[in-house]
Amino acid sequence: MSSTSQKHKDFVAEPMGEKTVMALAGIGEVLGKRLEEKGFDKAYVVLGQFLVLKKDEELFRDWLKDTCGANVKQQGDCYGCLKEWCDAFL
Amino acid sequence: MPFEEDPAYLSKSRLKSDLVAHNVALPPAASKKEIYVELHLKHIDQRNAADFSSDEEDLVPDVADREEDPDHTEIPDPRTLTDDELKAALLHHGVKAGPIVGTTRAVYEKKLKKLLQPDESGKVNGAEKAVVYSDSEEEEEEEVEEEEQKADGEEEVEESVCTESEKQTAEQTDLAKQESSQAKLPYQNGSFPYLQCFMPSSRLHARPTSNRESKSKWNSRNAVKSSERSRSRCKEIPVGISRASSVDQHSGLGSGVPSGSQSVMSNGCSSFSSQAFSITQMVKEMESRSLISSSTDADRELNVSNVQEHRSQPIRPPQEPMKDIIKEIFPETGTTPTGIHATRRRPIKGAAQRPVQYGYPATPVSPATLERREMERRRVPIRIQILVFLIMACILYFIYVNLEDICVVLLDSLNQGFDSEDGYSLQAETEDTQVVSGQD
Repeated sequence: MSSTSQKHKDFVAEPMGEKTVMALAGIGEVLGKRLEEKGFDKAYVVLGQFLVLKKDEELFRDWLKDTCGANVKQQGDCYGCLKEWCDAFL
Repeated sequence: MPFEEDPAYLSKSRLKSDLVAHNVALPPAASKKEIYVELHLKHIDQRNAADFSSDEEDLVPDVADREEDPDHTEIPDPRTLTDDELKAALLHHGVKAGPIVGTTRAVYEKKLKKLLQPDESGKVNGAEKAVVYSDSEEEEEEEVEEEEQKADGEEEVEESVCTESEKQTAEQTDLAKQESSQAKLPYQNGSFPYLQCFMPSSRLHARPTSNRESKSKWNSRNAVKSSERSRSRCKEIPVGISRASSVDQHSGLGSGVPSGSQSVMSNGCSSFSSQAFSITQMVKEMESRSLISSSTDADRELNVSNVQEHRSQPIRPPQEPMKDIIKEIFPETGTTPTGIHATRRRPIKGAAQRPVQYGYPATPVSPATLERREMERRRVPIRIQILVFLIMACILYFIYVNLEDICVVLLDSLNQGFDSEDGYSLQAETEDTQVVSGQD
């Protein structure tokens, strides 16, 4: 199992509130900008997409890749981050 | 389906199953065979027919779409399906889809496409997504032809493993070679190659991974008894078994398959392919193969410690860390020809003419237990303690009740004892007692 990054830990530690999309693990400046252009300007919107895809890993990864061009590692980080957040707070 | 066969020559049940397989609604159960034949001709033999009449009432909307769409003569284009149909199609493939909304539609369409392709060609999911995405449409066309069992279509397809291989043994070499070039990608998925090993020897099926398509692929392959592929994978079994770590097995096996040694090893393995699955035979196989391989290819030396090394080059880098890990875990183990390392078990004391040389305690006892036993031996039992306590309580009660009388008795005895001595103190005492008794 890969260890989680600081960003991941910070995100999962508390309710996301109005955090931007860049607060998600795996989503940096470039990807964040692309997501925002597509309309996913807040982390909770991406969460919404994650939930609509029924928290399915494959589908979410595909979606992320298609939407902002995330690579495998970034997809995995983002998925893991959201999943853990959901486990803790949802 | 052999492509020579005319639907009219197929049995009714066969026609029915073909229609179901192609997602066509069946006519009422009591229909004549002619109706089935008609439907079969219309839906399944579309590619052959340039045009056909569309007057049947059972025409599924997908079929109409198929007609119109030039790219997908056989497969319904997910883009043309409605949300409900897309959901139904996904469900048909066993995927429980969530809500299909604007943002999710694209994802589900892609998923359906992916599912449809492996249905026909037995393509592996996962690492081959890149391939799928790049030439999805062209491949679908070719796979469509394939389904008709046309020999032309097969060779063009990159992964054509499904039903053709069952029937046409001549194609196996081609397929194997094609597959070997393509197979490098899927075998990065660790669990996948491992399963192939057990194909020829047993009916073990793929683990319930998300690749349902691979399952159908394995089913078709199971039918192939004497394929080179099965032989080449067969050889990986002893290697896999001899290693302690399953992770190593997966990667080792995966890299072994596409190494292209199939034709070379087929001779060596042919004698073993039909044998039962037993470890002793595999050990022999390994040893014999080690002789063969050393002569053919230096890399193929089946020295177990170097198992991972003689896998194909692309897979080599990922093998290194795992090989090192094994060496770390078992640093003392030397290399053995069979690769089986067994550690000597501690002899059972007292069994099989092995005398008990050292005195083992009868039962293992912890120091705390020993302490407790000591303590309890020295303590007075609780019951006796309670008894003594009750006796003392009774004595004190009697003293309390009969205080006066006792005092009088005691004082008398004291008086007698101290007669010669200080009479004043005695008198004081008697006064005190009188006061005390007065108060009572």
